[in-house]
Amino acid sequence: MPPNLTGPAAPEDVLATTLVMTPAAPAPTEESAGAVLSGVEFGKTLVVLVQLGLAALVIRQFQLESRTFYNVFLLATGAFAIHAVLPLKHRLAFFALVSFAGIALVFGPRNGAMLVAVGLTLIATCHLPVRFSVRVALLLAMTVVLALSRAGTLPPIVAGEVWPILGSMFMFRLAVYLHALKHDPTPPTVARTLAYFFMLPNVCYPLFPVVDYTTFTRTHYDTDASEIHQRGTKWITRGLLHLLLYRFVYLHLSLDVTAIRSLGDVVQAILATFFLYLRVSGQFHLIAGILHLFGFNLPETHRLYYLASSITDYWRRINIYWKDFMMKLAFYPSFFRLRRMGGDRTALIWSTIVVFAATWLLHSYQWFWLRSVFPVTAPDLLFWALLGGLVVVNSLRETKRGRKRTLKADKTAWSASLALRVAGTFTLLAVLWSLWSTESIIDWLWMWHQAATVQPRDLLLIAILLAIGLAIGGVVWDAPLAAKKGPTPWYLRPDVRTTGVLAALLVIRIPTVQDRGGERVAGVLRSLESTALNSRDRALQQKGYYEKLDNRGGLSMQLWNVVQQQPPGLLSLSDTKMYRTRANDFLGYDLQPLSEGVIQGKKETTNRWGMRDRDYTLDKPAGTLRIALTGPSFTMGTGVEDNETYDAYLETKLNEDASAPAHYEVLNFGVAAYSILHQMRMLDDRVYRFHPDVVVLTDGRLPDGPIVSHLTRAVGQITVGAYPELDSILRKAGISDFPGHGPPLPIAWLRRAAKALGVPVRMPEREVALRANTALDDVVAWSFRHMAQEARAHGAVPVFMDGAFPTDSTGPDTPMMRHAREAGFLVVSLADIWNGQPRDEFMVAPWDPHPNARGMQKIADGLYRQLRLHDAQAHLFHNN
Amino acid sequence: MDAIIRTVKEFILTKFLPGEDPQSLTTSTPLISSGILDSLATLDLVAFLEDTYGIELAAHETDASRIGTLADIAKLVTSKGVVA
Repeated sequence: MPPNLTGPAAPEDVLATTLVMTPAAPAPTEESAGAVLSGVEFGKTLVVLVQLGLAALVIRQFQLESRTFYNVFLLATGAFAIHAVLPLKHRLAFFALVSFAGIALVFGPRNGAMLVAVGLTLIATCHLPVRFSVRVALLLAMTVVLALSRAGTLPPIVAGEVWPILGSMFMFRLAVYLHALKHDPTPPTVARTLAYFFMLPNVCYPLFPVVDYTTFTRTHYDTDASEIHQRGTKWITRGLLHLLLYRFVYLHLSLDVTAIRSLGDVVQAILATFFLYLRVSGQFHLIAGILHLFGFNLPETHRLYYLASSITDYWRRINIYWKDFMMKLAFYPSFFRLRRMGGDRTALIWSTIVVFAATWLLHSYQWFWLRSVFPVTAPDLLFWALLGGLVVVNSLRETKRGRKRTLKADKTAWSASLALRVAGTFTLLAVLWSLWSTESIIDWLWMWHQAATVQPRDLLLIAILLAIGLAIGGVVWDAPLAAKKGPTPWYLRPDVRTTGVLAALLVIRIPTVQDRGGERVAGVLRSLESTALNSRDRALQQKGYYEKLDNRGGLSMQLWNVVQQQPPGLLSLSDTKMYRTRANDFLGYDLQPLSEGVIQGKKETTNRWGMRDRDYTLDKPAGTLRIALTGPSFTMGTGVEDNETYDAYLETKLNEDASAPAHYEVLNFGVAAYSILHQMRMLDDRVYRFHPDVVVLTDGRLPDGPIVSHLTRAVGQITVGAYPELDSILRKAGISDFPGHGPPLPIAWLRRAAKALGVPVRMPEREVALRANTALDDVVAWSFRHMAQEARAHGAVPVFMDGAFPTDSTGPDTPMMRHAREAGFLVVSLADIWNGQPRDEFMVAPWDPHPNARGMQKIADGLYRQLRLHDAQAHLFHNN
Repeated sequence: MDAIIRTVKEFILTKFLPGEDPQSLTTSTPLISSGILDSLATLDLVAFLEDTYGIELAAHETDASRIGTLADIAKLVTSKGVVA
């Protein structure tokens, strides 16, 4: 508990901030409610408990959010049952205690205690018996020390996983609290202060709404308790719906810029990006809903923000707590100060600019506490500048013309004017949002470049979307007062609706119900049941793209949630002495011969040829058949010991087979993050010198980013010249002026104009990557043809192995399998070996889907079976 | 107090809710959380209160706890020494 900091004789601003140990005089509602629930209240509490039980089932069945959240939700449900029967005067203190229990549950006693200790120190500083300005200065100094620790400059003050939560509890709330200490006449109580800073749901949400202290205090049981609790379950349910919709968008609609080929794709990508925000609004609804269970009758965090009728209206509807925070600490203080100097109009303009500049900076500040990076990007800056500018213009217009408000909504009336404004605002914001979310301005320009390809179905799609948007947008869906037309039927009562929605969600989880919708609908519904990554994020994860810390800032929230579970201090290949740069070779890098390192916590060693394997002679011994394996990390054996790789298991298994006609050697040429092009070069560079009888290539399932990264680097280092056909494919894709001289300049005609003026410019690296991506199918098809030809020429049978990742599932041929088959490879898929068993039993860790030792054994068994099955082509067992 | 409420109510109805039923706007109708008083309307209201009652308001007095309802506004005005 923080000390009671009542000071001796002190200035007025000190006395006003003394924490009192007993609650201020309770509000009439608190006194009148008493300790015992009436029969009706007891019944309503039971209904809420039933709804919370259903919500917990939905969370578990659909694996919504994290396991941590599920545990915290169960804690909240149990705590609610006790809280609801406590006398009102004890409820706030009880909530604070439950919040501490949540911290201990999530972080354990030691890390939890550190979080609480740092938090209490910050709170105590707010109440030091010194002048207000001194306390602010002290808090700023403490923030700098904490930031240096977070950045790694100073030793860690708290554990790595605690930082995001500590940051989200205090980074904004301290400012709000200080504001309340300075201006609110009612002194805070210990229980209220602790409840405010450590509020229960925060323990599993780094991204947390900026709850206003005064509102938090003012709204606590400010109306009928049952009504507040019911609103809580309603918002929890709404939050769960948002999260399921988000999952649908993330898995089935979101498009990477590299996959955009037409106007229809552009529309889909823009809409999907805009709708990905449903995750944030869903989480904020859950958070606010849980707080309602404990009596905090907080206002909505979001209100029909996709139906805003102007930019200013949007700002008022989306993340309302943030808007209120900015109004309180930036807009009004700026306006009241500036109006004395330059009049209302000037004050309005500059105050709005202050708000948006602060929002931009504070987003990066928030990012810093969450991910330890302080992103300052051009799209970010441009987005906030444009949004701020539009709000200024719109505000001036509203000041002049006014804005129509209404007290009652008539959902049966449709207005063309409103429909057009809503559709226009939505479109503008969706486009702006796509700018904000893009990795770079070049990506965004490239997306629009693809919009020049228009197909009839694209126009049909736009027409349908517009019709839907106008139909929905022309109706006023919300207003301060509901337009009542007689008593509410029983089935429209909030408790019935909430219970019904939760029950319906559980029903659509039943397989027989899913199957009634047909294969496609059932597939979509099943996809919503787990926290799977979409294809782009899965590819990034499999390739180990995230292993470099500096890539983490740009990860999607979904992938980041997986990655952040990884313990700190694990090294990837490039962090060890096993990594050898081959800058002047198309290969780029390989493994240092006779080296060792600890990668992802496992010791790895290489032989004299730079293979993670035992030693082999260059010449093939008589009577021996050789299999050469190439591939990325799972072939190299990231996450397992030297003798646990699937090549080691396969070699043992082959030689244990008494019926086999020869001795076998399985040579592992796998190197982490190798793409199919790396493997092509590895084959040409050294594999054939070992006279393999079979070469087995392995890779992910899509021609994707790692191939593009490799090509971009090869073009930059001019090593792509080793393969003239490949060079020709890339030139056809428009890649030129790279590496080149001068500054990078996107868009071909701009470069031509600059050159005409004698200014040397080059193609930006990102444009090279995007152009290479358009040629990806041609590149992959050519590389498979090249590898098949070379393998045959060297007397080896080329094999392509698919499905070796525990997260892979069976299905039709993947694009990579098709390319391999067309080039003449023997294609085998191991995807079925993972069926019927929990996949995580074969994974290194929940955050790392690489196969563990058991997974490696399974791959070896699967590959052995496939080679036997296809021996007519592989010629390993009947060597004729 | 009632006089202040009447005056402010008339201002809000005329300025922000033209055509709405005056009976719908009560002393406890939430003005901020309902969206009737957004940031621009709040500035208009502040200017109106300052001009009408000859008082000066500070930035922190635009909080929902002080101008959240007609009753809150009347309380704020009277706290400035205005006799209701």
